Amino acid sequence: MEENANKIDDMHENDPKETNGKSTPSRIFGQVREFFKKDLVSYITKRILMFIPTLFLISVLVFFVIQLPPGDYVSSEIARLTTEGELVTQADADALREQYGLDQPVIVQYFKWIGDIIWTPTDSQYYRLNHSHHNWKYSFKFSKNVWDVINERLATTVIFTAVIMLFQYLVSIPIAIYSSTHQYSVGDYTASVIGFLGTAIPNFCLAIILMYLSYKWTGNSNTGLFTPEMKVNGVHLYNFGELCKRMIIPLIVLGTSGTCGIIRSVRAQMLDEVGRQYTLTARAKGVSERKIIMKYCFRAAINPTVSGLGGILSSLFSGSTVTAIVLDLELQGPQLFEALKAQDMYLAGAIVMVQAVLVVIGILFSDIALALLDPRIRYSGGGR
Amino acid sequence: MKKKLMALLLAGVMVVSLAACGGSSTNTNTNTNDTPKNTPTTAPAETGETKSTPEPTATPTPVPVEKLSFSESPELEQLVKEGKLPSVENRLPNKDDIYVEQVDATGKNLSIGNYDDTLNLSFGGGSWEIYRLGFDRMIAFNADGTYYANVLKSYEHNADYTVWTFHLREGMKWSDGEDFDADDITFWYYMMHVTNFDTKASWTALKDEVTGNFAVLKKVDKYTVTWTFENPKLESAFITNGDFKWCWAPEHYWHDMIPASMYVQNEYWENTGLSDEQVLANAKAKGLDYSTLKDLGKQAAYYYWNVSGMPTIAAFMLTTKEGNNSRNSSLCILERNPYYWKVDAAGNQLPYFDNLYLNKYGDVSISQLHFRSGDIDILGSVAMEDIASILADVKDCKVYTWAGSSWGSYQVTFNYTINDTKYAELFANSAFRQALSICVDRENVSEVVSNGFLLPGQAAPAEGGFGYDEEWAKKWTEYDVAAAKKLLESCGLVMGKDNYYDFADGTDLSVDFLAYNDNGADTIYPVIQKYFDAAGIKTTLKSLEVSTYDQLIDNNDWVACIGPHTSVGGVSLSADRQEPFVPIAQLCEWYGEYGTYYQTSGERGVKPTGDMAKLVELFEQWKAETDRDKREALELQIYELHKKNLWTIAYLTSAGSYDLVNEKIGNYANNLVSSDLFQYAQIVHYFTLYRAK
Repeated sequence: MEENANKIDDMHENDPKETNGKSTPSRIFGQVREFFKKDLVSYITKRILMFIPTLFLISVLVFFVIQLPPGDYVSSEIARLTTEGELVTQADADALREQYGLDQPVIVQYFKWIGDIIWTPTDSQYYRLNHSHHNWKYSFKFSKNVWDVINERLATTVIFTAVIMLFQYLVSIPIAIYSSTHQYSVGDYTASVIGFLGTAIPNFCLAIILMYLSYKWTGNSNTGLFTPEMKVNGVHLYNFGELCKRMIIPLIVLGTSGTCGIIRSVRAQMLDEVGRQYTLTARAKGVSERKIIMKYCFRAAINPTVSGLGGILSSLFSGSTVTAIVLDLELQGPQLFEALKAQDMYLAGAIVMVQAVLVVIGILFSDIALALLDPRIRYSGGGR
Repeated sequence: MKKKLMALLLAGVMVVSLAACGGSSTNTNTNTNDTPKNTPTTAPAETGETKSTPEPTATPTPVPVEKLSFSESPELEQLVKEGKLPSVENRLPNKDDIYVEQVDATGKNLSIGNYDDTLNLSFGGGSWEIYRLGFDRMIAFNADGTYYANVLKSYEHNADYTVWTFHLREGMKWSDGEDFDADDITFWYYMMHVTNFDTKASWTALKDEVTGNFAVLKKVDKYTVTWTFENPKLESAFITNGDFKWCWAPEHYWHDMIPASMYVQNEYWENTGLSDEQVLANAKAKGLDYSTLKDLGKQAAYYYWNVSGMPTIAAFMLTTKEGNNSRNSSLCILERNPYYWKVDAAGNQLPYFDNLYLNKYGDVSISQLHFRSGDIDILGSVAMEDIASILADVKDCKVYTWAGSSWGSYQVTFNYTINDTKYAELFANSAFRQALSICVDRENVSEVVSNGFLLPGQAAPAEGGFGYDEEWAKKWTEYDVAAAKKLLESCGLVMGKDNYYDFADGTDLSVDFLAYNDNGADTIYPVIQKYFDAAGIKTTLKSLEVSTYDQLIDNNDWVACIGPHTSVGGVSLSADRQEPFVPIAQLCEWYGEYGTYYQTSGERGVKPTGDMAKLVELFEQWKAETDRDKREALELQIYELHKKNLWTIAYLTSAGSYDLVNEKIGNYANNLVSSDLFQYAQIVHYFTLYRAK
């Protein structure tokens, strides 16, 4: 792969059309059209087919890992009820296990679970009551349909994750370009120090510090995404400002942690690209420095970052759980945490599955974006 | 500041009164809400009085209900004007049957409050929390363990306790305006409870003590029912055990959700003829989306307070607004019941607040931040070490003290039914327990763990509580390592080369303590471990997730524990759950499998012997005894056995708990008792709280 890339690099550097730097809207449109003419459809199909074993493996892992600790949902539930002062007999526990099918072997439970998600037959009671062929089961912890539980926070989680990602890219890329073009300047050092600090300080720790400062300075800790008023009346234009205010701490905490990584990566790539022969050639031909940096060096430097989009998505979905708990954000992370604590394997399994699907889709998009950014990238194997 | 606070808190604890817990209020055969402590014949005179720091200071004046004129919240007044709601007089029960709420659970006169919009609370989302905040029971408890007719107008029993009669309030209505009457009780009993549709057939309050058969419920008239038992059903078994959280259901709501498959023949209700699937479909149409009948029964019939849209007789009910109508919502809203049947002494229909906003936060520290910010009005069960810092930030709040019913903090107990006979014999020897008790310097533990706030003590009833015995409270509390070592050697233990005692056969002795996360064991263990080491007792501590911990306990796979999940004792045997006092259930760590033996009638568990067996014998006698004095004597005999054996040892006195309350919130009772019997926060009576203007 490395070899191919170098080959392509060489071709690219020797392409007079590219080094001319002429880029008209029609040419860009042509590139996009060319891109879609490629074997993209077969690539996407292949990737979607790859999802199936991937998701299967994930589902197996999730279901079995959740069941690894001693006990099951019923033992968690009994512990909770006992804490609440309720007396639960062994007979009650046995009845619950039978009711939820927890008295069956784990393998039987798994295939029943996954089978019902994939296809619940038309003649089943579930279908007759819910008119759906996909039975995600019943969340023990939340006492309702798993899909209803997931739905409550899915949209917020996706939007929140998208905003954080956008923030990360919008902040980190300009800083990275500045740092690479002003290497060893005060600005570069400042950005590096802030970057290292951001990476080094654990998110939950930074979150606590910012909550404390917010409380000290404003009298309000600004935790949670929504005010009680928003939770009753929803988010509208009149209270959107308050929502933005509440996004500040999560943006700083989650945004900066990822930002630092992107800055370091893009900066290093940029420094590499800035010293390459094609850059020198372009300079020798009188191409403006701005155009060299933005059109050629940056496009090449951004590739690893774009290809890492899936990983970032994944870390934002699941890695932000601790921060979301600390900041009391109404996202899926804390929901997953509660499900895991309660050994609610249907809910936990479904959340992880949904996140996995979103991440896999994210990776697919990142691959497509990568190809759009860099015409040298193809989807089928072999040399050109 | 900290010392001042400690002094304040200590003073609060000292004045907590638990006296008179042992007896019940029902010396006569009839109980009404005219006589019990909760409803005195006095009321504040200054109608509409508002203060910044409300205290009931009015001169007691009798309140003749017939002379009261009733008023309601502005919100409801508006609805009445718009013709959407009947007038308040038509929503309340008949005048003679209206409940006039005049005192709090400690017997203190209530202030007359004012109507307000929202009371903001922190909320954990537990299955029982909504019940505790907004719901009522047929018969309710005062903080001293006495009880009174609450939903009921009155109740009585015959001379031999075989027939209990309930009188309902005429004209009382469900939250949707339908009549609340005897049919709602017969329907609940015969269609939901006897059939085990509500999944609570194991509940023994309505079963005969000897035969285990269900009582026969008869509807005498629209507002009277009787329960008939084959054998005497004493107050402790009927009221204290029953306490009647469940005893009714809105028949007009449930009638199409009862399956034919669970029908039990009775004289009041015919089989609905509905298939299980039809029932689930009907339930789904009402927003009750459950996949099985058992789930429907458990979540909607048993935990009825967690169901949005179901008619209720409670002061507050879950909103029907999507997104806020579940206990799992990040903001769960309880709305006032416009048909609530209680008024204050000035005739204002209760509750005072339109809504309770139950804010679910991810962590205690987040709740505390919101309290500091003024977002929530009441912060419950605040850890003692957090109070000083919160008070430093929040000036306009007050500390309210709750007495714990626990017999001491940081209790340690052993597995007396452990399979390893060497350990079982050692734990059964009281000299071993005494050694582990006296080898610890409690003064030092008190200083290190609680800044001296929790006093050195033993696992015994607290001062002022029923059964308090100074000798017991101080038993085995003197610090004497040399004596502890002698006691250990008297148990047959021999000092090993590693300076720890071994069994006589040379095998290692290690007391491996089990604990569950956040139960305080991590705090005290490092402090007491050094004393155990000094006495030559090797110990370890393993803290586990609570469910894992419980499972090990249930499997009898444990040696000893710190901070048991269900600790020994309580308010009193008469005024509390009985399981923590005697080995009758698979519940408490201190009796291990002995309790399982009783609960399963000998099918599983370990048959109790010695004083454990005596506890059971005394308990059986106590259950059967109708004479109040003799019952108390038997209860004290049970206490004597606890004193003699100290199956559980404690190092410090009970901690109690503390609520921080915005000082503008009126009628919040102080010196309440935190107990399962009283359903914890329920005894606050949230429907009487108001915010002073």
